[in-house]
Amino acid sequence: MTTSTVDVQAPEQAPPPAPAPGRRRRFAVHFAHYKWLYLLLLPGVIYFAVFRYAPMYGVSIAFKDYVPFLGVNASPWVGFQHFQDFFSNPDFGRLLGNTLILAFLNLGIAFPLTIVLALLLNEVRLSILKRTVQTLVYIPHFLSWTIVASLSFLLFALDFGPLFLFINSVLGTDIDFLSDPAWFRPLIVLQEIWKNTGWGTIIFLAALATVDQDQYEAAIIDGAGRFRRVWHITLPGIRSTIIVMLILAIGQMLNTGFEQIYLMTNALNRSVADVFDTYVYFVGITQGAYSYSTAVGLFKSLVGIVLIFGTNWLAKRFNQSGLF
Amino acid sequence: MIRRNLSLAAAVVTATALTLTACSGGEAPAADSSKISVMAPFLEAQPPSADGAVQQKLEELTGKDVSITWTPNASYEDKMNITLASSEIPQVMVVQSKSPGFVKNAEAGAFWDLTDKLDEYPNLKTTFPDVEKNASVNGKVYGVFRARNPIRAAVMFRQDWLDKLGLEAPVTTEDLYKVAKAFTEQDPDGNGQNDTWGITIPKWGALGSNSPYDIIEEWYGAGNRWTEKDGKLIPSFETEEFLEANRFVKKMVDEKLINPDFATFDGTKWNEPFFNGKGGIIVDVDSRVSVLINLFKQANPNDFQNKVGFVGNLKGPDGELHAHPTDGYSGFLAVPKTSVRTEAELKNVLEFLNTMNGKEVATLLNNGIEGVNFTVEDGKAATIKPEMAEGKAVTTDIKSYAQLGTNVTGNNFYPVKQASDYEQEVFDKRVEVMAEDLKSAVYNPAAAFVSPTYVAKGAQLDNIVADARIKYLAGQIDEQGLKDAIKLWKTSGGDKVQEEINKLWQDSK
Repeated sequence: MTTSTVDVQAPEQAPPPAPAPGRRRRFAVHFAHYKWLYLLLLPGVIYFAVFRYAPMYGVSIAFKDYVPFLGVNASPWVGFQHFQDFFSNPDFGRLLGNTLILAFLNLGIAFPLTIVLALLLNEVRLSILKRTVQTLVYIPHFLSWTIVASLSFLLFALDFGPLFLFINSVLGTDIDFLSDPAWFRPLIVLQEIWKNTGWGTIIFLAALATVDQDQYEAAIIDGAGRFRRVWHITLPGIRSTIIVMLILAIGQMLNTGFEQIYLMTNALNRSVADVFDTYVYFVGITQGAYSYSTAVGLFKSLVGIVLIFGTNWLAKRFNQSGLF
Repeated sequence: MIRRNLSLAAAVVTATALTLTACSGGEAPAADSSKISVMAPFLEAQPPSADGAVQQKLEELTGKDVSITWTPNASYEDKMNITLASSEIPQVMVVQSKSPGFVKNAEAGAFWDLTDKLDEYPNLKTTFPDVEKNASVNGKVYGVFRARNPIRAAVMFRQDWLDKLGLEAPVTTEDLYKVAKAFTEQDPDGNGQNDTWGITIPKWGALGSNSPYDIIEEWYGAGNRWTEKDGKLIPSFETEEFLEANRFVKKMVDEKLINPDFATFDGTKWNEPFFNGKGGIIVDVDSRVSVLINLFKQANPNDFQNKVGFVGNLKGPDGELHAHPTDGYSGFLAVPKTSVRTEAELKNVLEFLNTMNGKEVATLLNNGIEGVNFTVEDGKAATIKPEMAEGKAVTTDIKSYAQLGTNVTGNNFYPVKQASDYEQEVFDKRVEVMAEDLKSAVYNPAAAFVSPTYVAKGAQLDNIVADARIKYLAGQIDEQGLKDAIKLWKTSGGDKVQEEINKLWQDSK
């Protein structure tokens, strides 16, 4: 594919001269030949260098005792002190546990639901109905977490929230959903499902549109029912999309959503609500412990990298195409 | 707005702070002595307008081009920490508390040490040296403190409910319990339904935040953050009285004398249950009395008297009055070295602050503009009626500008004349009650001390106890659980904090 693009772009150019001896020379020739393509690449390279790589210089404060007044350079080095403090901190186990549990709940429940919803939408034959439902399920994605949290507060408010009254009267209980630690995670996952499941279907619906229609016809002739067709044609047809989305989702997994959790936290559920993101905010910004919280954030990023490479490796092992 | 600030905040720390790179090389512009930049919080819904009458008058009186960065009070602490890490540092900064972020910078030399400098300026040489010491960092004065009444704790209750049930205003904590119980169980609003409770408590749970919990603990004799016992300072939550006070609050929670959502109830809605006839008691600062009276007045200008009653601090179970004082200040105005480079520039800034606390500017910041929004009657500032748009704008703006007032030499402005005789009477009674309680105030003996370990992780430590306190009251853990949390506080670094505080305390004697 690449070759054809090049041919289209540089039809008048002479074919590349015979490779000259010497690696450097060869590269120079190669570079001269494809110079316009490299020029096209340049903005992207600059963007990443300036906005993604240069700021990583700031990561050095994780190994320093950073004081804003002194600046990054003049602040003294402390090595792995902040990491040691963090790992020996009683908060560490709790944070890691809370973050991972929430991450796996979201991945295990919200992610498959997205596929299920996409399959359901795909089966709707009435075009107008399909489009209407699609639009309706996208809408919550555009509401900010502040609004989602406010809605939750209203619905579950103690003694007058409609859902509070309804669920408690059905179950005959007296649960305060907003402050009961046992209900924190279900609430978070529910909010996540409500807000983002519809939006997540977009990619899957696009993938579903590419599945070969002839196969369905053949399957129908062979007497396959709807579920058989979904199982044997639709799902295998979008398998690679599912794998790529899964790897991406796992890379994002530890980003448990700062705003959502911050807004839903209170003194009674903090023991299950504290995650890396809220902790970094609490310690770093409100208490000015920049170095310590950068160390925590860096640790989180490392875990994220391990997860994404690990999943990619697993995907390749099971004979699927990985992401890279 | 908050959303944006939060994501900005998160971005700064996690995304490794691009700004940090820039700030280390940031140079302040050459000093122009006619310009002063200030960063201050505002508590109103909107910041004052930059070209309002108050701003113009302020610039006229000080002779400076004053640019004020107004920052919402709720996110002030975050914004201050971010500003300190940026290259846009104002010349005068309101610092709200000796937070870890501030102390670390101050100890690295980010702010001018004003310990021996303020006495040269007549309006900055304080008449409350004890408060100045409280506001210092281990004796070093880093700013001009913003004076506050030392006694502010009060119990407010629905006077009409009290009268209806034939009860007396509470004097002791036991009386408080009785009134709360009667308000809950004896249908004080007479609607025949069991739909009222006694005390409304918001979700404020942090230690030392002057929350109802802190106040009740102090009444019980637990002390004020730190308590002297056997020649040593111990944290107040290690006293037996702390546990007793919380048993008392828990009893009220269990008997439903306190709003059931006390752990999640939004503090900005604190007046609503009181006004709507749900919860009849509030334990908070006495200035809330006026706010409450005003609510009733707005609803019905002909019948608002005898709705709100109040008393000051309550006697504890030992029969003694341990009144809960503040530290006498609410933050201070500090001068960063990054923006004020030389002694000469510092002199210029301090002269500005000196003018700010003179009678003319103090009157402007606290009363407004004479002839526009107030006139002087019997030495008091009376609001001009009917209020014109112009006067109203000034009255609104000064609510924010008052944040710049320091009043370290006492109040250099007019006391406000209350709108009616009834309100004046209540106001005078408040002043009287607070003056009386001042005699029994139990201060925080460690107010001036900042321990290095506390700077490093004090807030996380305090959270252990603060959260446990709420959990205990909500019934999630028992008293042993609360004691375990206090033990965890000690073993996670609290012991070291205590050691350091005691050393500083001994050295200062």
